[in-house]
Amino acid sequence: MRFTGIDKRLLTHIDFAVLGLTITLAIIGLISIYSATYSNNPATYTRAQYWFIISLVLLTGAVVVNYHFLERYAYIIYGGSIVLLLLVFAIGKSSGGAQRWLDLGFLSLQPSETAKIALIIMLARHFSLKNLAGRGLDIKDLIVPGLIFIAPFFLIMKQPDLGTSIILLSIFCSMTLVVGIRLRTIIAIGVALSAIMPFAWMSLKDYQKARLTSFLNPGRDPFGSGYHLLQSKIAIGSGGFLGKGYTGGTQGKLMFLPEHHTDFIFSILAEEWGFIGASIVIFIFFALILKGLGAAASSKDRFGFLLAFGISAMLFWHVVINIAMVTGLLPVVGVPLPFISYGGSFLAVIMTSMGLIINIRMRRFIF
Amino acid sequence: MKKAKEQKNYLKVRVFFVLAFFIVAFSLVFLRAFQLQVLESESLKAKAARQHVRSVSLRSKRGDIYDRNFKELAISIDVDSVYARPTQIKSKRALSRALAPIIGLKASEIRRSLSSGRGFVWVKRQIDLDEAERAKIAAMKGVGIVKESRRYYPNNGLASNLLGFTGVDSNGLEGIEHSYNTYLSGATRKISGGRDARGRLMLFGDTGNVVPVEGMSVELTIDKTIQYVTESALQSAIDKTGAKGGTAVVLAPATGEVLAMATAPGFNLNDFRRTSPELWRNRTVTDSFEPGSVAKVFVVAGALEEGLVKPDDIFFCENGSYRVADRVLHDAEEKGWLSVSNIIKYSSNIGASKIAEKMGRETLYRYFSAFGMGTKTGLDLPGETSGSLLDVDKWSGVTLHTISFGQGVSASSIQLATALGAIANGGFLMKPYIVKEVKSGTGKVVKANNPVIMRRVISAATARSVRDMMVGVTGEGGTGTKAAISGFDVAGKTGTAQKPDFEHGGYRKHAYVSSFFGFVPAENPVLTIIVTLDEPQKGHYGGEVAAPVFKEIASKSLTYLGVTPQGDMHPSYGKKRGAAKALRSGVGTKEVSLRRGFAPDFTGLTMRKALRVSREGDFDIKMIGGGLAVRQSPGPGRPLKGVKSVKVWFQ
Repeated sequence: MRFTGIDKRLLTHIDFAVLGLTITLAIIGLISIYSATYSNNPATYTRAQYWFIISLVLLTGAVVVNYHFLERYAYIIYGGSIVLLLLVFAIGKSSGGAQRWLDLGFLSLQPSETAKIALIIMLARHFSLKNLAGRGLDIKDLIVPGLIFIAPFFLIMKQPDLGTSIILLSIFCSMTLVVGIRLRTIIAIGVALSAIMPFAWMSLKDYQKARLTSFLNPGRDPFGSGYHLLQSKIAIGSGGFLGKGYTGGTQGKLMFLPEHHTDFIFSILAEEWGFIGASIVIFIFFALILKGLGAAASSKDRFGFLLAFGISAMLFWHVVINIAMVTGLLPVVGVPLPFISYGGSFLAVIMTSMGLIINIRMRRFIF
Repeated sequence: MKKAKEQKNYLKVRVFFVLAFFIVAFSLVFLRAFQLQVLESESLKAKAARQHVRSVSLRSKRGDIYDRNFKELAISIDVDSVYARPTQIKSKRALSRALAPIIGLKASEIRRSLSSGRGFVWVKRQIDLDEAERAKIAAMKGVGIVKESRRYYPNNGLASNLLGFTGVDSNGLEGIEHSYNTYLSGATRKISGGRDARGRLMLFGDTGNVVPVEGMSVELTIDKTIQYVTESALQSAIDKTGAKGGTAVVLAPATGEVLAMATAPGFNLNDFRRTSPELWRNRTVTDSFEPGSVAKVFVVAGALEEGLVKPDDIFFCENGSYRVADRVLHDAEEKGWLSVSNIIKYSSNIGASKIAEKMGRETLYRYFSAFGMGTKTGLDLPGETSGSLLDVDKWSGVTLHTISFGQGVSASSIQLATALGAIANGGFLMKPYIVKEVKSGTGKVVKANNPVIMRRVISAATARSVRDMMVGVTGEGGTGTKAAISGFDVAGKTGTAQKPDFEHGGYRKHAYVSSFFGFVPAENPVLTIIVTLDEPQKGHYGGEVAAPVFKEIASKSLTYLGVTPQGDMHPSYGKKRGAAKALRSGVGTKEVSLRRGFAPDFTGLTMRKALRVSREGDFDIKMIGGGLAVRQSPGPGRPLKGVKSVKVWFQ
């Protein structure tokens, strides 16, 4: 088994569709960030360009390195990401009431993003080694993966970062469900969770609670918590079918929408490119996720399957939660739109993940 | 291996379930986008528009106010206002230090306003900056300049109560500024623009295309020189007599034009906020008072017109004490028999009462009304009073008598001056007016006032008779000798009215309104003048304190107008105006060449032009006087080294 290196044979198996869709989305992201920030925060676009380059390098690396390398070093990757999360508490940068970043000089790293891929790798390794009969996972089978999941989840909840926590939970659930879980286990967990719910609610920060409740009736308090939601809907809707044209958006530009270059970038995109543009972007995401599922289905081993599936699930949940959130179908929980939202660490992680998808697809014929 | 294969197939089956789930989820998201962007698009577009598209009013430059000779009384000048966006400022301390010397504030003050926590603050509004200073500020991040228009009154306090002033929003609050606000303020054009979430203005359209209609200019009938003469005469009388205040109005009796209108004490229009609002009223128009003996003129005029008396008819004046109903009337001088002329000359209350008795209530009331008592003159100034003339049905036994010498009736200065004008011009009550013309920015006359005859009150012959009697007042032995001007016949009448006591009823002791009104030259009057002094302390007879003011105003104005005792008695305003106009168009609009570091030649420039020139150069300008520039320091072409400001004298 070769950890690195690519021979000509492998090269012919590179999935250029995945590569093309990935880079297309990343470029759409760049130009959207430019439109969202050029008037009041031009430095953001410069940083986005740096991250774009870094991510391309990482993607290349993820294609080149044999993914089985990850299986072997899963503990180190997972452990490293937990250490980074702990470091955030020690020396992290605060912004907007949350401590999420590690300062790397000219750029800053968000360890909660690396935790996503680390969790996928770790769970993939764990489940790939488990002997799974048709009956599915039992409660006791869930203890170890539960612990693997709960450590980063807890640390990220503490930052606090509700959005990323929810993504980790989604990834965990998706992977355990695809591996298979017994019905009675699900029932037992359901009962346990409904017992814990009230306490979980109490542990949420006030602004998180407000966001969750305001979602139910955003019009009631247009300048409070529901404000983002209403503004976002207005921005998207006012784009109409054809949009207002690139950089022609007014709602985002005039800063009715806070965080318009991060979580709410889809609103700006939809405002400027209209329903046409929004549909195309949704379609590209869907195509990419299908490709990811395809990579999973065609992978030659369980680790490859679970890794590709985990990544696809991560992508899926981000896209669906984000778009549902900015269109008012779900509460505002702070989940970024992959490739497009500004956020260097997440771009690096998602691009690396796409590199892994290519990697897995490329090596499906290799034993 | 087989087992692994089994498991793998089992997983692949699950992928299809997952795929189905993903398709459902994506469909939901896609349909939601369709709903928002296609189905609900119109209503959301409307919401967006309501939220951020605002029509923005572009305030146009306020029109100027000129006197009858086109001298500037109120002008609008462009000034700079400096604002800051504290969030964009890196070092508030460094910026405050850099800004302080330019805008003339302390660095600590600036820093305080920057630290107020707001996203937008005015650092300093309405200052004059030169090009270099503007460039310096433009180079600073987070600070900017906005051009604003500021009202400037080149003559400070001159005609303050008449002109009025504007508030911060450039709306006229008092005087002409108020009553002609719609003309002066011009059209405010609305253009489509946006406000961002912080309320900042963002204009989508090209503002260059939308030029607001400039405010119209208002040309008054006021003559700045006569106004100045009137105000200074009034003020020196107040200083001399210790009066609380005073008013004076100068009319052109032939037309009803107001040449001067003064209320003392006045205030500095450029600094009106520092004075008490009590001083802002134009009391020649808003306040009425009991006219006292000046009313006798109207009694006699009515009686003569009705043919009830002739100038030489004599009346017994009861030796100064005359019982009517429950009251005893007194005269200042005890007289026996007096002719009608002498009743005016010596101002006998008893004589006037006896003439009024002859007229009867209805006739007296009719004439007082005809002279305009109890009715507003309709002058275009805010807050005019109608005075009061009690309805004849409500007169008590003694009202007829008291009204005949000006008690129990009240009128404003402008009313009395208008009424007197009817005697001066041969019997016509002219509607007084103060605005000659309103011109649009392009010079088109939008509104023009012309003389309006309200009615004929008395015949020319009666007017002549009354005039002759009034000339007697300023003649030897009359009550108004101090108003006499050598070489001219002055027709006048004194008035000394006790002020009513509103608390206890009756009249206050030692509180008088002393007045004098008259016209000059008596034969062919050019000026009708009324002077009132409120509670003079040193002397209280109208002939004593008010007559000299009349004399000073009249004699100086006649000299200014070129009316000489011997020569042509017909003053020619036309010539004077023509001359002033020629002066303006000739010298006033010359181009000035600027050389950096050297004083430009200001001579012959209007104040406005001088201001404009100074703004292009890198120095301040101090303007002294008014009219056209006559002198300057440093002189034209002199180097400006070390000189911060150029002084320019205007005349």
